Amino acid sequence: MPGGRTGGRGAAATKRFEASEEATQREEEQEDDGDEDLRDGGVPFFVNRGGLPIDEPTWERMWRHVAKIHPEGETVAQRIRGATDLPKIPIPSVPALQPSTPIPERLEAIQRYIKELQYNHTGTQFFEIKKSRPLTGLMDLAKEMTKEALPIKCLEAVILGIYLTNNMPTLERFPISFKTHFSGNYFRHIVLGVNFGGRYGALGISRREELMYKAPTFRTLSELIFNYEEAYHRCWHVLKKVKLGHCVSHDPHSVEQIEWKHSILDVEKLGREDFRKELERHARDMRLKIGKGTGPPSPTKDRKKDVSSPQRGQSSPHRHNSRGERRLSGEKKPAESKAMPDLNGYQIRV
Amino acid sequence: MEPGGGRKEKPKPKEPVSRLEKAKQKSAQQELKQRQRAEIYALNRVMTELEQQQFDAFCKQMQASGE
Repeated sequence: MPGGRTGGRGAAATKRFEASEEATQREEEQEDDGDEDLRDGGVPFFVNRGGLPIDEPTWERMWRHVAKIHPEGETVAQRIRGATDLPKIPIPSVPALQPSTPIPERLEAIQRYIKELQYNHTGTQFFEIKKSRPLTGLMDLAKEMTKEALPIKCLEAVILGIYLTNNMPTLERFPISFKTHFSGNYFRHIVLGVNFGGRYGALGISRREELMYKAPTFRTLSELIFNYEEAYHRCWHVLKKVKLGHCVSHDPHSVEQIEWKHSILDVEKLGREDFRKELERHARDMRLKIGKGTGPPSPTKDRKKDVSSPQRGQSSPHRHNSRGERRLSGEKKPAESKAMPDLNGYQIRV
Repeated sequence: MEPGGGRKEKPKPKEPVSRLEKAKQKSAQQELKQRQRAEIYALNRVMTELEQQQFDAFCKQMQASGE
C-alpha cells in the first residue's frame, strides 16, 4: 500500500507520522553506519577504530569505562593491569572441517568456535565493522578476528559466521536483526540466519544463550523467528522490529555489499498473521533468488526494478506496509511493558 | 668511487638496519598484542561475572514480585 497512510487521519496526525518516519529513516541510516553501536540498550560502549594492538587512548578509555560501570571501580583495573600472573588464554583453532562432515555438525563446530572467543562484556568493541563495506573487506576483517582471537559481539559474530561458512555452497546465510524494547530502552541484536535443505537455523553470539545459535531444524522462517521472539519474551524483552537481509554470496572476494534489510517488519503494526506472512514472503524471495541462480540481489536502485518482489525497496510500499495500519481486527495491542524492579538501573541486555 | 683510484670502504647499506628495526617493532607489537589479549580476557571474565550476578539478581526479583 503506497504510503500506508489512510484517509481518516487528520493533518496533525499525518505530520506526526511523517516526522516519525523521518526520525526512523535517520535511525535506519545511522544503523548502516554502525552508529547504533555506541549505545547498547542505553548503556554506552565504545569501538576500537585503530586496529590492533589497541592504541593508548582507546586502551585508557576502555579502562576508564570499566571503572565507571563496575561497582569496584578502579580496583578492577588495578588488579589486572600489569599483573604478572594472568592466565594464558589459548587461541582457539578455526574448525578444520571435512567436506564429508554433515552440515549441521559443521555448524555446531563453528558455533562452538564462536562461543570460545567469548561474548565481549568489556564495553569496548575491538573490531570495527562498517556494514557498508564490500564483502571482501569484511572477510579480511573476519580473518583478522580468527588470528587475533578476542571477545566479540553479535555483529562481529555474524561476519565471522559468514566467513566460516563460505565453503558450504549448499548453506544459505542471511542476516536477521532484532529490535526489542525493555524497561524504557531499545536494544538491537543480530544473528546469521542459515537455511540448509529447507531447514532454518542461526549462528551468532549473545549474552543470552537462547538468543544465538539455533540448530537448522526449523521448517519455516516464521518458526525460527517466533522462537527468538519467545526467547526474548522469557527475558522480558518485547520484539518490535525484525529486519531480514538477503542471502550472502559465498565468494569471499565479492565486492558486493551485504544486504542487511531486504525486509523490515514492524511486529506490532503488522499483527501476528501478517507478520508471519511477511516472513514467509521473505523466505520465498530468498528461494526465488537462489532458484534463479542470480545470487544476492544488486544494490537498492536495481532492486526497485525487481519484478519478483516489487515491494522491497527501502522506500517501497512494503516498508510502509510494515508500519501502516495492517493489524487484523481482533488483534490485541501488545500489553505495555510493566514497570521493572529497579536494580540500580540494570538493563537486561542481549 | 673516489678519483685517484683508491677505494674507500663503502658504508654499510641502510636496508639491513631498517629491516632489523622493523623486525624489532614487529616483535614489540606482537608482545603488546599478547599482553593486551591477556588483560582483555581477564577483564572480560570479571565483567561477565558481574553481568551474570546482575541478571540472576534481577530474575530473582522478578520472580519474587510475581511477574
